Amino acid sequence: MGSGFKIAIVDENPVRAAILEEGLLEAGHRNVTRVSERTNLLARLTLLDPDVILIALENPSRDVLEQMFQVSRVVRRPVAMFVEQSDTASIEAAIDAGVSAYVVDGLTKERVKHVVDISIMRFKAFSRLKDELTEAKVALQERKVIDRAKGILMRAKNLQEEEAYALLRKTAMNEKRRIADIAQSIITAADVFK
Amino acid sequence: MKCLRIGYVPLSDAAVLIAAASRGFAEAEGFAIELVREVSWANIRDKLILGQFDAAHMLAPFAIATTLGLGHLRVPLIAPFALNLNGNAITISNLLQMQMADELGRTPEGPLEGAKALASVIRRRTAEQQEPLAFGIVFPFSTHAYLLRHWLRLGAIDPERDVNLVVVPPPYMAESLRTGLLHGFCVGSPWNSLAVDAKLGCIAAFGVDIAERAPEKILAVPKAVSERDPDLVSRLIRALRAAARWCADGKNHADLARLLASREHLGLPEHIIRDVLDGNLCVGAGGQRRAHAAFLLLGGDTTNRPDPRHAKWLYAEMVRAGQTPFSDEAYHAAAAVYTPQLYDEATRETATMPPGDPVALSMGPAFSEHDPRGYLAAFR
Repeated sequence: MGSGFKIAIVDENPVRAAILEEGLLEAGHRNVTRVSERTNLLARLTLLDPDVILIALENPSRDVLEQMFQVSRVVRRPVAMFVEQSDTASIEAAIDAGVSAYVVDGLTKERVKHVVDISIMRFKAFSRLKDELTEAKVALQERKVIDRAKGILMRAKNLQEEEAYALLRKTAMNEKRRIADIAQSIITAADVFK
Repeated sequence: MKCLRIGYVPLSDAAVLIAAASRGFAEAEGFAIELVREVSWANIRDKLILGQFDAAHMLAPFAIATTLGLGHLRVPLIAPFALNLNGNAITISNLLQMQMADELGRTPEGPLEGAKALASVIRRRTAEQQEPLAFGIVFPFSTHAYLLRHWLRLGAIDPERDVNLVVVPPPYMAESLRTGLLHGFCVGSPWNSLAVDAKLGCIAAFGVDIAERAPEKILAVPKAVSERDPDLVSRLIRALRAAARWCADGKNHADLARLLASREHLGLPEHIIRDVLDGNLCVGAGGQRRAHAAFLLLGGDTTNRPDPRHAKWLYAEMVRAGQTPFSDEAYHAAAAVYTPQLYDEATRETATMPPGDPVALSMGPAFSEHDPRGYLAAFR
């Protein structure tokens, strides 16, 4: 279901822009350009003259695009938000995913909707990736903290590694706290007693 | 406790909303405010329309334009509370300031002299076939756009032909002066001060030099929300009124500056925000300061009572800027966006609005709500 649309992706996050671009290419949209300009965005878009502009909601430059409705002498063709006002479910899904779309007037709604649906999916996929990455970072950090606390216990109480870990786990269960929290408390306390 | 979700853009004139949410004014009226920070006015509009926000900090002209359907969406909004008057300024690059001083033989004083010096610079550039100067505004439907246009016209500069007016998000304004993409801009606080602080430009005029009482941000509430829950809107108005009094009191400026400067809200230097609240700003790279008591009005007297004459003036300015042709019907629809009756009912104040010209444009014809066509004709 490809198209001859010229699509511009305005996103300052290069990873997310790449993920979206890939999604569009896979779906057969061959003419996709990533735009990361902050300061001369309107000039860049005027030059590109895209049919569809996809922009992240977290990008302050959305207001720059709003000017296109006003200044038709700057941009050759007037631009309108893709969705009809009645189609709030579509707008809502896009806003929830954190993306907004602008298209030139007169494009077939179904074909544009296809582009927007891909954007929504890819933006959501990116958010999931980001969450997973954050979780992985937190898990790694916690493992380091637990290892340090184990070391402190092994030295202070002359324990084996498994015994130190068992002690951490038992304390966490008794106190109804997480092992990582107990480990952090031990490190803090050890620092104080240093 | 009922909680209202309110969107705002991190600017000094979100002060009343931020204070109402953080200093107990909402709770005193029996509700809570969840503030949501946004980066663009387009986001604010979309989330208001989709019902994700119950109310929002909004450019007064944008609320009117959205109600009239002058943008691409038409959704009725009301403005039952004016969050501030004034607070804008025009900043120009240091280079442009020097060129203007060269034309005049000294640093221009006052908006008229500045605009005339600017006109000379523009004539010289045109003769030398240089690119037109570019000036930044924050949004097509904004008081900034209308103040800047008026200032340019004082020097007989045609804002549509002699310069490029481009929308630039406030956080990118100063940077655009440095890269030369902009030669000046009109923006709200504290972004002018940040450009001056970075030694990238100087403040050529305070907004209050161009219009004494310019409408700026209002509390926008979807008409549907106000009809569904009038009591809650009433309580919100009362909480904002109390917060606005607190904000306007100089005794609280230290606390307010700290609150606004926090990472959670503006995330910008506290001393700069303090200067803005006190109306005492650094205006040039040499550290010169200028004070004006009405630089930014957050509360006190009738500041917060929405004045339909302001809505009418803004509509007239939209016509002047070529954003819409004049119609009597739209003129009255614009005025109806401002709802002083809701404000009066909620606050039980009996306000006497200052008579005469509600805006007091510098060196322009007086605006009379009964004769908008006369006002418009006077500029031709």
